[in-house]
Amino acid sequence: MLFCTWVSTHYEEQGPVKWLAFALEMIAATTLFLLMLLTCSDVVGRYFLSNSIDGTTELTEIALAILIFAEMPVITWRGGHVVVDILDRMMGRTVIKLLGLFSVFLIASSLYFIATQIYFLAERSFRRSEVTEFLQLPVGLIVEYIAFMSWITAATLLSYGVYRLLWRSRD
Amino acid sequence: MTVALIGFAILLILIVILRIPIAFSMAIVGFFGFAYMQGLNFDTYTDFNWNSALSMAAKRVINTAQEYSLSVIPLFILMGNLVTKSGLSHQLYRASNAFLGHMQGGLSMATVVACGGFSAICGSSLATSATMAKVAMPPMRKYGYADSLATASIAAGGTLGILIPPSVILVIYGLLTETSIRELFAAGFIPGFIGILLYLCAVRFAVWRNPEDGPCGERLSWPERIQALQGVWGVLILFSVVMGGIYLGVFTPTEAAGIGAGGAFVIALYRRSLTLANLFDILTDTARTSAMLFGVLIGALIFSNFINRAGLPGDLLTLVQSVDVSPMVVIFFILGIYIVLGMVFESLSMMLLTVPIFFPLVQSLGFDLVWFGIVVVVVTEISLITPPVGMNVFVLSAVLRDVKASTIFKGVTPFWCADIIRLILITLIAPISLFLPELLYR
Amino acid sequence: ETIMRVASWLPPTHVQNAVVWPTWGKWIEEATEGRVKLEIEYGLGHPKTLFELVEDGVADASFSYHGYVPGRFKLALGVEEPLMGASAEAASVAYWRVHQKYFAAANEHDGLTVAGVFVHGPGQIQTIEPISSLADLKGKKIRIGGGVPAEIGNRLGVTPVGAPAPKVYELLQQGIVDGVFLPIAEQKTLRLNEVARNVVALPGGMYLGSFSIFINPDFLDSLSDKDREAIMSVSGEKLSAMAGRAWDAADREGMKAAEEAGVNIVKVSADDAFAKDFNQLVEGMDQIWLDSVADRDVDAKSALAELRSIAHSYHE
Ligand code: NA
Ligand code: NA
Repeated sequence: MLFCTWVSTHYEEQGPVKWLAFALEMIAATTLFLLMLLTCSDVVGRYFLSNSIDGTTELTEIALAILIFAEMPVITWRGGHVVVDILDRMMGRTVIKLLGLFSVFLIASSLYFIATQIYFLAERSFRRSEVTEFLQLPVGLIVEYIAFMSWITAATLLSYGVYRLLWRSRD
Repeated sequence: MTVALIGFAILLILIVILRIPIAFSMAIVGFFGFAYMQGLNFDTYTDFNWNSALSMAAKRVINTAQEYSLSVIPLFILMGNLVTKSGLSHQLYRASNAFLGHMQGGLSMATVVACGGFSAICGSSLATSATMAKVAMPPMRKYGYADSLATASIAAGGTLGILIPPSVILVIYGLLTETSIRELFAAGFIPGFIGILLYLCAVRFAVWRNPEDGPCGERLSWPERIQALQGVWGVLILFSVVMGGIYLGVFTPTEAAGIGAGGAFVIALYRRSLTLANLFDILTDTARTSAMLFGVLIGALIFSNFINRAGLPGDLLTLVQSVDVSPMVVIFFILGIYIVLGMVFESLSMMLLTVPIFFPLVQSLGFDLVWFGIVVVVVTEISLITPPVGMNVFVLSAVLRDVKASTIFKGVTPFWCADIIRLILITLIAPISLFLPELLYR
Repeated sequence: ETIMRVASWLPPTHVQNAVVWPTWGKWIEEATEGRVKLEIEYGLGHPKTLFELVEDGVADASFSYHGYVPGRFKLALGVEEPLMGASAEAASVAYWRVHQKYFAAANEHDGLTVAGVFVHGPGQIQTIEPISSLADLKGKKIRIGGGVPAEIGNRLGVTPVGAPAPKVYELLQQGIVDGVFLPIAEQKTLRLNEVARNVVALPGGMYLGSFSIFINPDFLDSLSDKDREAIMSVSGEKLSAMAGRAWDAADREGMKAAEEAGVNIVKVSADDAFAKDFNQLVEGMDQIWLDSVADRDVDAKSALAELRSIAHSYHE
């Protein structure tokens, strides 16, 4: 099947992780594209139809959060966060791998704890029925999403991220 | 002060020696530092109430990920990626090369000018670096430029736009200090253009030192140059729409990012250079870069909460006041502090942390706050390319995975020196900044 | 000696930071005989987060704008309704009394100890081009915050543009919006006298803006009974009145700055057609608010009536 081949050649990940990566990136890509359309139609609407889209600001904010946190697991398990590599030449490959493992542990645990707190804040926001200004969407929903995606980032980093670091890293 | 300095030291160890990603290093040091300020120590950690430090960090994550004004980051990166993938960047550089390529380091110079122009419009140094990396890097590599010079001219060029109006940073400064924003905008023009000129000199200097870093191309005839220009009408239209739209008040800089991306999308469609698969590539590539940048931003904000709580800004003020010297020496002392802070901070958090502390002092010494605003912005620009944490440099090394940050930092040195020269000029000769505001508004 | 960390926002020169906090701090210091001192801290984040940051103990006290958290502070928005026709000080005192008598029971400030409530001065029409009637605003692009002003904008038929207050200068300067609804104090603080050169000052303004000052309850518990009572003795109505008075003074400063800059200020009197049109425009808005708080189990109707009668009979 053409589509399966395309995904396989496109993603370095193995097995089901490949499809998870594709799904997450599909969400991010769609959201980004809609964000672009939203801004354009808002400006066009303001000038030619004398009416801007109600709640463009809050939709933009929500889209931003969806986009960033859909992508977070993928870039994190790929080791895509910015690292200072000034001392790389002085350290051996083993040292770099060990430090990589240490980073994985630190990142996963900090994400786990912060996600727990974010989830707690989301629940509290639901309890107080906080909503967005124009569209009256529950604020807690997007906060809950951020919490879930942080947990997923921590879990995939500890599983696939470690596997990739130990057995699949090319450098 | 001691606590904050120890915090800095630990941060540097985590980043440089333990090789922990910057975003998480800053967040972790910021989190534990903040908890320490709330009373955490070895005796209390079993029954310490983690709630406040956790809430502080969690709120930073939640709010930064939903910050409206930050939507410029993904949208301008998307615009750059679309422009690049539709082949326009190639033609843009063929045109630049037609005019400048025959000179030593000519493409680097074209890059500086283009970065200045682009970042002036979008006002985001990070977005400029990310975009221009996509646009300017492939041609410079093709013409045999050294990675260090090529990337450094992008990283440095990207810092120019904070000063050239419209500038979000200048607006924030104006609101913090109640200084006239239009005067600040007017004051930014000349120093911004001096910045471009000095960067051009820095390129000349770099190729004079190492001629093989920026080889000469062939000289083209005028008809060939005109022909090369015809390939770039799309980019010119796009840039005019984005820039003109902002200046004429058709849309905000934030909205301009969306319009720019939409325009680039239309151009790419028109040129039939888009397939569903490469549109998907462009979008995901943009999303990845954006997520990475947001991570660093969130980390920086959590860390700045700690530094603020540790009282560093206030202690610095006391320190400055305790030395009995002339006002100009105090200013240079403050600038020195900024450059040191610039080693670990990115521009916005540095501004938010220090300006409220320093401006009453500067005002009481009898200095003009518009002038001080320009000086502060120039010195925060420098922080973007100052090691070990130069955000523009990191953006570049994230976008160009095969170039190491250390390579870029090496190439950036002449530009950094050019910036220091500009800083001294602007600090000592106030009319460079104040001429236009005096002429227009006073 | 205990430090009370007050998280703040707005520029350091703003009346809230230059007058309200220092005055309250002085009162607290005197009342506790120097055992509790107030310290201002900036830059903790967007003002909307301050309610929760204080609740979770990131800061000990703060103030924020109720309109920033839609859905949570529905009762509080009652004070923003048009036609209050009183100074910020009078409205703030009335607001405090009504808050204690009616609103407090609904516990909208769950997790916080409310030390004071106040309003900013009346919001006015500030535009780039002059307007001669309310009808002139139809179709104009106006920057509007949420809540009550949004409903007024809706009724005026303006094209609303949403943006945080610090963005307003930029929006006006570039002509992206044609005007804003904000208190006259912003002629000085947001420097609108450079960009919004035409002001229509309706008698009593279009709406008021609702704020509260709040303290973390755990922080109060950590103090001795004596100090806690001392702090509360210089809070409440006394603090609310002082804050309202300070924001009134900021309005006077704003008016002065506008006049000095030669801004065209039209002061509408109560029997002008302009004012009558406005009264007609906002008819029925009280009911919208009453409906929105129907789930709050509070006699909102009496609260609103009492709010207005106290404000009108208050003598400064
Ligand atoms: Na700019
Ligand atoms: Na730096």
